[in-house]
Amino acid sequence: MKLRVKLYGSLSQRFPNYQHSQGIEVEIPDGATVKDLLALLEISESQGAVVALEGRILKVDDTIRGGVPVNIFQPLSGG
Amino acid sequence: MKFIRVNMNEKTITIEDVPQDYRGLGGRGLTSIMINAEVPPKCDPLGPENKLIFAPGLLSGTPLPNSSRISVGAKSPLTGGIKESNAGGTVSAALGRLGITAVVIEGQAPEGELSILRIDEKGNASLIPAQDYKGMRTYKLVEKMLEVHGEKTSVLCIGPAGEDRLSAASIQSSDIDGRPCHAAARGGLGAVMGAKGLKALIVDQRGKSPDAIADPKAFREAARAFTKAVKEHPEPGHMMPTLGTAALVAPLNSMGAFPCFNAKKGVMEGWEKISGEAMAELIKERGGKTTHMGCAQCIIHCSNEFVDREGKYVTGSLEYETIWAMGGMTGIADLDTIARLDNLCDEIGIDTMSTGVAVAVAMDAGYKEFGDGAAAIEMVEEIGKGTEFGRILGNGPATVGNHFNHARVPVVKGQGIAGYDPRAMLGNGVTFATSPMGADHTAGNVIGLCLQNKLDPLKAEGVVEISRNLQIAIAAFDCTGQCFMATVAAFDPEPGEAFRKVLSAKLGTELGPEDFPGTMGVRVLKAEREFNRKAGFTNQDDRLPRFFSEEPLPPHNTVFVISDEELDSTFDF
Repeated sequence: MKLRVKLYGSLSQRFPNYQHSQGIEVEIPDGATVKDLLALLEISESQGAVVALEGRILKVDDTIRGGVPVNIFQPLSGG
Repeated sequence: MKFIRVNMNEKTITIEDVPQDYRGLGGRGLTSIMINAEVPPKCDPLGPENKLIFAPGLLSGTPLPNSSRISVGAKSPLTGGIKESNAGGTVSAALGRLGITAVVIEGQAPEGELSILRIDEKGNASLIPAQDYKGMRTYKLVEKMLEVHGEKTSVLCIGPAGEDRLSAASIQSSDIDGRPCHAAARGGLGAVMGAKGLKALIVDQRGKSPDAIADPKAFREAARAFTKAVKEHPEPGHMMPTLGTAALVAPLNSMGAFPCFNAKKGVMEGWEKISGEAMAELIKERGGKTTHMGCAQCIIHCSNEFVDREGKYVTGSLEYETIWAMGGMTGIADLDTIARLDNLCDEIGIDTMSTGVAVAVAMDAGYKEFGDGAAAIEMVEEIGKGTEFGRILGNGPATVGNHFNHARVPVVKGQGIAGYDPRAMLGNGVTFATSPMGADHTAGNVIGLCLQNKLDPLKAEGVVEISRNLQIAIAAFDCTGQCFMATVAAFDPEPGEAFRKVLSAKLGTELGPEDFPGTMGVRVLKAEREFNRKAGFTNQDDRLPRFFSEEPLPPHNTVFVISDEELDSTFDF
């Protein structure tokens, strides 16, 4: 399935011409997990990416559902 | 190790060795324990019995990077309880280099009299008449101070709001470039300074008489290890210099925990326009600085310089909490307006967070429309002008709520919440409710744990214990002068041990994990709680406003569900 992904923090730096208004479109198999998505985007665990969908933070083994944009950002401890 | 005690009635200055009872204390630990011991709990915060204490951290003035946080303490006119508010900038390192453990302002100058306290490079202190600077805004004042006393001068000062003794008045702190854009903003300590008759504390940065480091070799080794950990940590080493704290706008909205329109919603439509990413893009386009060294000895550079369309400086550093308060709470999705409001608050010397919440409460009460940027600027300008409405606004959200007879006022102990809605992040609700400081984002913020997937922000289980442990840890780190951005690295075991060794080597005491942060943090919190009890606070003051338990927050449509009994167990130690 096709998925609209928005990358925050410095995660977008590896994608030339990335635009926040658009995000990027990726194709993942049905039933793919957060781990699969991060692997596809070549975002390593050490970068500590956080995946949020419909207002919730997902765990690495959670399945991604299509149809809604996915936001990926990096952990931060406060302001 | 010396105290400078200044009596504002008599205009006398006494320099004394730090008494035994206060040895080994710094920053928040010193201000809070000293206030609990020396300030009558029921005194008028704006009267002569209150004391205003400036205390560098235990590590300020040492070569350790990121150690220039100054703690300012007093009884708060905003909360009626104890207050410690800390700020970055250069002054803490400057005081540390002079071996000054605290500057204690006592008594009260005769009505209308204004002074500046100057500490020169030898550590000599003098009071200088400051009538010429009456009513002056902070940027102009700092410019004058640097002109008269030299570029190597650190300034802590108040603006018109502090002179007017408004309960949300801040104390502004000058940065590396001599801009008063850092602030000990919370709790109205600027009003206490104004009531004392003190316009500014200025300190020469060229002091060369810091307190000795007990074990210099061990200090160097441990400091090197800790500094390496800070540089390699993804947050202080990478994220902070990229976007600063503004990077939080995206995750908070993505989690539905961004309180906006006076905490009516958890996601703001149009938040992408005020995100850290949008801010960085705009700053880059206009030729400003997305990363910048603001504080003395900083290796993180989380600050930025926001510029206008012509590339002219507007404000620095635009931070998450200000973007949230001035943009989210007010519904103003425009970075130029938010930046203008930030600068205006720094100039007037008033807390951006309390002021943003106060503006939002006024808008919620129907005084102006949400999203009306021009109206917000006009309202904040009124604080600077000292109009009747400006005085209401400058006394914080609770005063605004009373004025409009409007019950939706998101404050605890009179202090406005921060940018994490308690209904969508229960752990921060516990911290907001129970912190002796009132609602506070620095006292024990669970956002890091939520984003690391270690805590479900919507689940109640275990959050009281998590908040307790964080509050203890932060109370201890607040004693050291270490910036929170670097402290983040110390949350991992190895760097945490390295940091403990730095502190042990400085103090000449072997500290174990139970001593720091544990024992130190508990000691500080106990003193703060004791003062608040004596000032008249009860368990009922450790509560969120009722609407957080009754009014569901979209998109999760959840309420704050931690019971009063659970809240009351937060400080079971």
